[in-house]
Amino acid sequence: MSLEGLVLGLNYAVLVYFLLLNGFYLLLYALSFVEISRYARRDAYTGLSELFTSNYAPPVSLIVPAYNEEATIAASVRSFLALRYPLFEIVVVNDGSKDRTVEVLREEFGLSESDQPVRVQLKTQPIRTVYTSPAERMILVDKENGGKADALNAGICAANYPFVCCIDADLILEEDALLRIARPMIESSRVVACGGMIRVANGCEVDSGRVAKIRTPREPIATFQIVEYLRAFLAGRTGFSVLNCLLIISGAFGMFRRQDFIEAGGYAHDTVGEDMEVVTRIHRTLREKGEPYRISFVPDPVGWTEVPANLRVLRRQRDRWHRGLMDTLLRHRKMLLNPRYGTVGMLAMPYFFLFEFLGPVVEILGYVAVPLSLWFGFLDVEFAVAFFLAAVGLGTVISVAAIFLEELRLHRYPRWLDVVKLTLYSVLENFGYRQLNTVWRALAIISFLRKNQSWGAMERQGFDPAKTTKKS
Amino acid sequence: MSSISFINLVTVVMALLVMLMMAVTVSAKAVRYLRASWYERHYKRIEPALEKSILTGENQPELLQLPPWQRDLFLSRLIVERIALLRGSGQEFLMRLAADLGLVDEYLKTLESRRRWRRARAGQSLGYFGGERAVEPLGKLLSDEDETIRAVAARALARIGSDEAVRLLVRTLDDPSELTRLRVAENLERLGQSAIGPLVDSLEDTVTLDAERSHGQITAVRVLGNLRAAGARGVLRRVACDGKEVDLRAQAMLALGRIGDPEDVPVLLEGTKDGSWPVRAQAANALGMVGEVSTIPTLKDLAADEEWWVRLNACKALANMGPEGEKALLELLQGDDRYARDRAAATLEIQGITRRMVRQLAKPGKRGERARTIVGAAIRSGATKYLGGLAEALPEGEERRILREMLGAAETVNGRPVGAEAEQMEPIGAEPKAEREDAESVKVEPTSAEPLAAGSADVEPRRPELEEQRPHGPQVGGR
Repeated sequence: MSLEGLVLGLNYAVLVYFLLLNGFYLLLYALSFVEISRYARRDAYTGLSELFTSNYAPPVSLIVPAYNEEATIAASVRSFLALRYPLFEIVVVNDGSKDRTVEVLREEFGLSESDQPVRVQLKTQPIRTVYTSPAERMILVDKENGGKADALNAGICAANYPFVCCIDADLILEEDALLRIARPMIESSRVVACGGMIRVANGCEVDSGRVAKIRTPREPIATFQIVEYLRAFLAGRTGFSVLNCLLIISGAFGMFRRQDFIEAGGYAHDTVGEDMEVVTRIHRTLREKGEPYRISFVPDPVGWTEVPANLRVLRRQRDRWHRGLMDTLLRHRKMLLNPRYGTVGMLAMPYFFLFEFLGPVVEILGYVAVPLSLWFGFLDVEFAVAFFLAAVGLGTVISVAAIFLEELRLHRYPRWLDVVKLTLYSVLENFGYRQLNTVWRALAIISFLRKNQSWGAMERQGFDPAKTTKKS
Repeated sequence: MSSISFINLVTVVMALLVMLMMAVTVSAKAVRYLRASWYERHYKRIEPALEKSILTGENQPELLQLPPWQRDLFLSRLIVERIALLRGSGQEFLMRLAADLGLVDEYLKTLESRRRWRRARAGQSLGYFGGERAVEPLGKLLSDEDETIRAVAARALARIGSDEAVRLLVRTLDDPSELTRLRVAENLERLGQSAIGPLVDSLEDTVTLDAERSHGQITAVRVLGNLRAAGARGVLRRVACDGKEVDLRAQAMLALGRIGDPEDVPVLLEGTKDGSWPVRAQAANALGMVGEVSTIPTLKDLAADEEWWVRLNACKALANMGPEGEKALLELLQGDDRYARDRAAATLEIQGITRRMVRQLAKPGKRGERARTIVGAAIRSGATKYLGGLAEALPEGEERRILREMLGAAETVNGRPVGAEAEQMEPIGAEPKAEREDAESVKVEPTSAEPLAAGSADVEPRRPELEEQRPHGPQVGGR
């Protein structure tokens, strides 16, 4: 077989890859479209305000891990305390902070040491003290440093209520977010976990811990991420959740049934992608037990987060995400193409292995091979155009479609300008931004092979809302 | 050549598609604006006529002349909006108007629609103006395949509130969806007195209190408790004693406590001997609500229970029982049981009793002596941090001097700083839950439902051997 034949074969393989990838995404989009439309209509009849005043809604524990957050933690907790939900407690876990996180919280909320027991149902670093508040439904668990996963596990052990909601300390939750994320779990006892939507807070006006005015940011990098998040959450996760093979619930905002979470073993300490890992493990545990269950995603409980506004921090974030993803997939490779695990094994796992894990390599190959082949005359122009259409054209269609779905059903952005801008960005995103991401993920594969398991220093700096968001 | 044109075609189609979708996205916003203003326009036109009808009590011809689709789309919404706010004759008039306009008939038909959101809207509207006629069809809607619609039906029936509607609602307490159940429960609670009879019947219906129906029964018991339904005491007593499920018994205890009749005390005392801690915890809670002084000895025993929640509730109950309860807490503070001592110290701090005693330290005679004994006991139980804080905050004077002296003595007697002594002590703390009614949460918490099997063994170390395995580090508490 000649070199030309080989190159041609490669080119066709990449073309087929892109067709499959985008075809699959279109399918997910179709499912999402139906689901979100139904969801939006249902919303009119759910009577959330009634649920809010209910004496009978199951109580929720909000788990907030904190590491060196003295500057913002008090404000965050205040804003969480003001959430609308009949009965909930906040469990702040101080993960051995080196700053005054504990002191700040103690002073702010008049916490005192308590003999309240912690059920040690998951292995964690030693817990030093439990503080409780006389006035607020709040617990502070002070423990030795052990990482985010460890802190969350400790918080879940200390939680008193049957539903636990894990959130990042710097997340800005909408007032009714808890009601909305808990709803699917109250509705059916089969729903063991539920993910909420993460939106981009950059550019929005934040007032006393709430997003007051929703705007798009000036920085193109952040705007691209809005499109990316909308595409991933609305088109991707909703579709996966319809098929009951959602593998990721964002670590920044997800709710679990405490019992099932503990039975699955809690967050793993030795991975950077603990949020994906734990959901995959819950799938695995419950499928192995043969219990009927669902893991849901709902598009309207919204948490707003500050996304990295510069390439350096963004790159580090993507690197971490991809390493986490690869790690999770390899740990649970047993599920791949195993019919025992239903849609997770037969659909989600192959998708993630092929398109997410190895995707970057194939894509880069394509982006390099096609122009080269064209240059050397192995390929004709039509093929190059076809490749372009499959890779970029279809991608653009999906991006725009995601913005369309957002505007049609959820319409969070009130300004015309923002909608027009997002539509334009959804096209532009496919020319450069996505390719850049592909390169970073490919590099992450390399760093993963070198066994780099660190979170990366100063990782959380970019997410600190106090630094970049206007507080008025 | 043909392939080139095919590719070109695809390119053009895709580019057009993208542009079209961009246009559609932006126009989605435009359409929404237009629609809203269209609605607004119609509302503005119809509203004055409706207002006039309400004022005059006569149907205005403008309303009767509206085409059916406008009655459905605009008028029914406006009527619903007003019925929600009005009472008495205004409400009756609007209900009659809805019937005259044919809205009731139409919506009764729509309840059978295959499109669920039409069923939902019809059900919702009938709740407002359907009256007795709508009860039976809405009852059918309670078994709709769609969960949201079942909840709509429950709300609608509760709004109508007739006897038959209540009976139908009570039957739905067994619904498999927890959301529907809690919606029904909420609505029954809103109905108040008229819900009590059917709820009691639903508990009495069952010959055996079986686990299958426990969800519905637990909810019924909770509603009865929240309604303070004295008429339900008999059946609640039976459930509290003979319920198979732990949570059912626990909730029945709590409900009896809420009702608060002293005659139920024997049942509650029985509950304090239950093998499952949620029942004991709620029995303690309930005894505190009833406030019968004769139960103090039992509560004192419970303050030394092996489960933290039971100790918490027992001490809180004692604190609610006036001077006698206070005395019992003080005795616990001086007692032998370390766990009861810790809890008692924490409870006394929260109730402000410790502070009061400190104030009396310098009093002459028996009162001062008693205060000194008690503060001394508090110091021995390890509440030095709180008392230390008090010593700082007190104005210069005799009390402060005595308190400091006592705290100082505690240090020197032990021959080491208070902190070191503290290491030997269990942490004491403030009451973690200001109102621990949510021990109710036990009900939904599967872990605590079988606490003795799975939970508490590794959860909270058992008493004798526990010193080191306390999950959190030993430190002295207090505020």
